[in-house]
Amino acid sequence: MLNALKDIVRKSSIHVCLINCGGCNGCDVEIVALLSPRYDLEQYGIYVHNNPREADVILVTGAVTDHWKENLKRIYTKVPEPKVVVCIGNCPLSGDVFNQEGGKINAPVADFIPVAAEIPGCPPRPNEILEAILAVGPDAVASRGREKE
Amino acid sequence: MILPLGPIHPSFKEPLRLKIKTRGERVLDTEIDYGYVHRGIEKIMEGKTWQKSIYLAERICGICSYEHTQTFAEVIEKISDVRAPLRAQFLRVITNELDRIQSHYLANSTFFKAIEHETLFMYMLSLREHAMDAIEFLTGNRVNMGWNVVGGVRMDAKPAHLNKILEKLELIEKDHQRYAEIFENGPLVGLRTKDVGRMTKEEAIKGRAVGPIGRASGLKHDLRELHHTYKDNLEFKPIWRKEGDNFARIMNRFNEIPQSIDLIRQAIENLPKGDIRIPVTIGSGFAEWRNEAPRGEVRYMAETNGNLIKNISIRTPSIMNIDSCAKYMLKDVATVSDVVATYASSDPCIACAERVVILDVDNGKSKIADIFDIK
Repeated sequence: MLNALKDIVRKSSIHVCLINCGGCNGCDVEIVALLSPRYDLEQYGIYVHNNPREADVILVTGAVTDHWKENLKRIYTKVPEPKVVVCIGNCPLSGDVFNQEGGKINAPVADFIPVAAEIPGCPPRPNEILEAILAVGPDAVASRGREKE
Repeated sequence: MILPLGPIHPSFKEPLRLKIKTRGERVLDTEIDYGYVHRGIEKIMEGKTWQKSIYLAERICGICSYEHTQTFAEVIEKISDVRAPLRAQFLRVITNELDRIQSHYLANSTFFKAIEHETLFMYMLSLREHAMDAIEFLTGNRVNMGWNVVGGVRMDAKPAHLNKILEKLELIEKDHQRYAEIFENGPLVGLRTKDVGRMTKEEAIKGRAVGPIGRASGLKHDLRELHHTYKDNLEFKPIWRKEGDNFARIMNRFNEIPQSIDLIRQAIENLPKGDIRIPVTIGSGFAEWRNEAPRGEVRYMAETNGNLIKNISIRTPSIMNIDSCAKYMLKDVATVSDVVATYASSDPCIACAERVVILDVDNGKSKIADIFDIK
């Protein structure tokens, strides 16, 4: 009974951290557009605050530049369990147009950290991003702390 | 005390690290740590045809992606000694100004988020969606449009598209003035913005500030005055202010939006009939082209060899603006929360700014690599 109640409450409180590890910030502006009154991310209980130590869902954009190779793993370890990683756009999946001779990138992100959901597109539309967060986010958050019980 | 901000920070959209030297909360000195988004775009472009490179140019920056493709197309057109047909030039003006509107709203919304004014933040984003709708209606995409080609534009605009754009502009105009007044006359917003992060005209010249940031400090410099389409066909006068503080930078962007709307209306009214694209034989040679992006001057220097790009050097406005922000605006700012606001007011776009830096070890000077340095 108590667990069921906790599930309901927890499912509507998802904290999101956005990590841009070397993209063109096209995907990032689409996430900013999600905050706008038209899409209204917060009505689903999703809150974007960019603090990895409180996050439940990590949104990764960009193609992992040399600076981010170590830092991405470091940030991932700082996020408390349970955590899910959602990759947004083509860059974290394949490197997009930068994955050519001369490009200084280390895509895909899945080589560095485990990935739960991937959204292709350059950039994907805001509603697709929202759909992906809602598909993987609530269940992961609801199961928080269950391992101890 | 040295206080690091970033690379992941609640009010930064993009990764950049600011190291702020402070005494108490007063800022003494700022250092910038670049390099988080360096992807090597100029290097990838070498030896590629323009058809491949224009997609890379578009993905330098997601916010002003349009201006990069236009400048790239125009530099290749200059090398080949052709000009796009007049209808294509007008369509470029329309898209360019729509892109400027959405970029200015985004920049202002980031600033309002930094000073914790959630209401104006939401207002700005909801107006921005109208501009995004108009862009999507005309070009088919929201962010990376793929709309420019060398010698014109990819698709024609039908009267239905243009009417839809005019409708959206009316929706923007209906609320824009009221929101600008909320900002201009709000006493508490004034306390957070007026006389914070001041940069004088001399400092702006020394820091090479461009775009709305330079114009807010009194530099009457807008490259649209020199662009052939604007000069020959449209009425245009740059908007500038004298104060040079956060308030001036935000107000300058607010005032440029009605001007962009006016330019779009002029372009739609006088839209000539004719081709939208002409075939171009790509010439060999070297050319330089400058354009006014939403953030300021963007410059492309390119050298081609037949159809292939031999060398290309891109200078984007953000690198100068972030530099002058760190050197002059952040100097002597009273609190750390004002640092974040001042940084947001300079409208940084890190994805643009990442370039190779050459460090001369002997005298400790560093400079941004140019086309003439790497050969």
